[in-house]
Amino acid sequence: MSAQYTPFEMIAYTGSRVLEDNKIVFVGTGLPIIASMHAQLTHAPGLGLIFEAGPLAPIMDMGMPLSVGDTRACRKACFLKGLCGVFELTQRGHSDFAFIGGAQIDMYGNINSTFEGGTYINAKTRFPGSGGAGAMAANCEKTIAIMALEPRRFSNELDFVTSIGYGDGSPDYREKAGVSGSGPYRVITNEALFGFDEKTRRMVLLEVLPGRTADDIQKKVSFELIISPDLKEMAEPSADDLKLLREKCDPDGYFLARKLK
Amino acid sequence: MKQTEVCSAIKNISKIQPAELDKTAGGYGDFEWWGLSPEAARKVMVNKSKALTDKTTTTKEAVNRFVKDGMNIAIGGFVNTRPPVSIIHEIIRHGAKDLTLSFQSNSICPELLAGAMLLYPNQVSIKRVELAWWGYEVIGIAPLLRHLNANGMIMMDDYTNYGMSARFKAAAMGIEFIPVRDHGGSSMELTNRGKMIKSPFSGKHTYLVPACYPDLGLIHATAADKFGNCRIFGAHCTCPEIAMASAHTVVTAEQIISNENIRTYPNLTEIPFSAVDAVIEQRFGSYPGICYGHHWFDMEHILMFRSASDEFRKSGNTDKLKKYYDEYIFGCETFDDFIGKLPYKTLKKMRDLDGGQPIITA
Repeated sequence: MSAQYTPFEMIAYTGSRVLEDNKIVFVGTGLPIIASMHAQLTHAPGLGLIFEAGPLAPIMDMGMPLSVGDTRACRKACFLKGLCGVFELTQRGHSDFAFIGGAQIDMYGNINSTFEGGTYINAKTRFPGSGGAGAMAANCEKTIAIMALEPRRFSNELDFVTSIGYGDGSPDYREKAGVSGSGPYRVITNEALFGFDEKTRRMVLLEVLPGRTADDIQKKVSFELIISPDLKEMAEPSADDLKLLREKCDPDGYFLARKLK
Repeated sequence: MKQTEVCSAIKNISKIQPAELDKTAGGYGDFEWWGLSPEAARKVMVNKSKALTDKTTTTKEAVNRFVKDGMNIAIGGFVNTRPPVSIIHEIIRHGAKDLTLSFQSNSICPELLAGAMLLYPNQVSIKRVELAWWGYEVIGIAPLLRHLNANGMIMMDDYTNYGMSARFKAAAMGIEFIPVRDHGGSSMELTNRGKMIKSPFSGKHTYLVPACYPDLGLIHATAADKFGNCRIFGAHCTCPEIAMASAHTVVTAEQIISNENIRTYPNLTEIPFSAVDAVIEQRFGSYPGICYGHHWFDMEHILMFRSASDEFRKSGNTDKLKKYYDEYIFGCETFDDFIGKLPYKTLKKMRDLDGGQPIITA
């Protein structure tokens, strides 16, 4: 029997499932931190975190960091320098996963977090910008992205490519771009988990929320999805998982208690 | 449009029209330094006295001496971590026009300058910004950035956080550019001032970003001696690189410590005295941001300023925003006057939430 959970709790739980023990994940603010904390508390106690302002492998015993440079993110780290220090680790291959968000994603896993509508010069809605995401998607080995499942966000054409995915899908796109990571790996939403097809580099539907069909998901995506022949149901968080998420990971409900817009 | 013989396949997926690319920082005419050239920056450094002299001063004096219209000002810290807020307040009181701002990620500092520009355009104005990120993280987007961008009031040159950090690092190294493994294959390859080349060694595509040599670097450090040797605890952000990249650097420090203590632990010096021109002891100098080992951030204060900014963006009503500047910036002679307006309970809570992180200052 499954417990009652919010969409953001499902995203955090799924993010945790995707992470692996004894690896290093480079995290963005919010849900990626929560997912990583949950993974550390359950199946991946040896998972190390990098926050972009400088720390590697801190111990988050003062609670969830609210910023990727704050005191909680730095406390009891094994190594603590600055942005150059940690981003250079990713170029050298130290970071197995990038864990980022964004406003729009296309079928090749390219992500926009710069602007939407209007033009680059006069954007209708200007977002904060790349921040670390563009560098993380380029040089961590595999990219995990979190996105709300809406046709507007799962887009055919991005207004701006902030974080590189597989580009136009050509086999040498990333090599020609001069980046070193292997690229998009998973895309997490509260209703579906996606991966990427090795041959075409296009987005593949791997898992759906219990009760949903592949067709339900396709309706919320502007481009044509590849459906995995081995389509599974997403695992749901147990009561223990929810207790950890609510009491240990985000007790103040900054991210998990939000409502989907 | 940027003229490059070598590029990734980004043009296959980019939606940005050629005419628009002509107006971006990367496509707008020949390359230009937005701060100093490497040669000019070296000359400034060579001509400085390298004496161990007492550089302690007041923020007002430092700003009077170093801030000029049209300059490139680099902002230290990272988002809400050690932003140099006290110097920004003084710059707003002093006035500075046609500024170029350079930073990786920041929140309250560029927003305070943007608000001043919108309210008092004859006092403060920003011409352009080279950056990676401008927002408040958990607290939300930056409303004044959104307003300035939507109305075409500033030119923006976008890099990643590593890109901006590497640009300051290149300047700290005294070189012209630095190869990085990001930006390529993203739209930033088309819009920013970096360039794709073929490596002269392997022939592989390599993205180069130009160094960033600001006129003035603003840093809030954990501790410094009177000569300018700085210690930074918690995340270093890009502060050492910015201090060493800039022609001049003003440091506010939470605490002035002895030179004897600096010399006891020389490995802990992150910024050397020769890179620093002015030192000010300023407790809570990054308030409402964080200073590791001293205090956590004040979310309520940031929310108050942000909601006044957002109200202006949505309705054009400047009342609340103006009230903020009148009360907290123009209504104060010094940053201590501003901190003095905060309730004891607020400062106590911020200190308690830091949890007394271990730092070495004695």
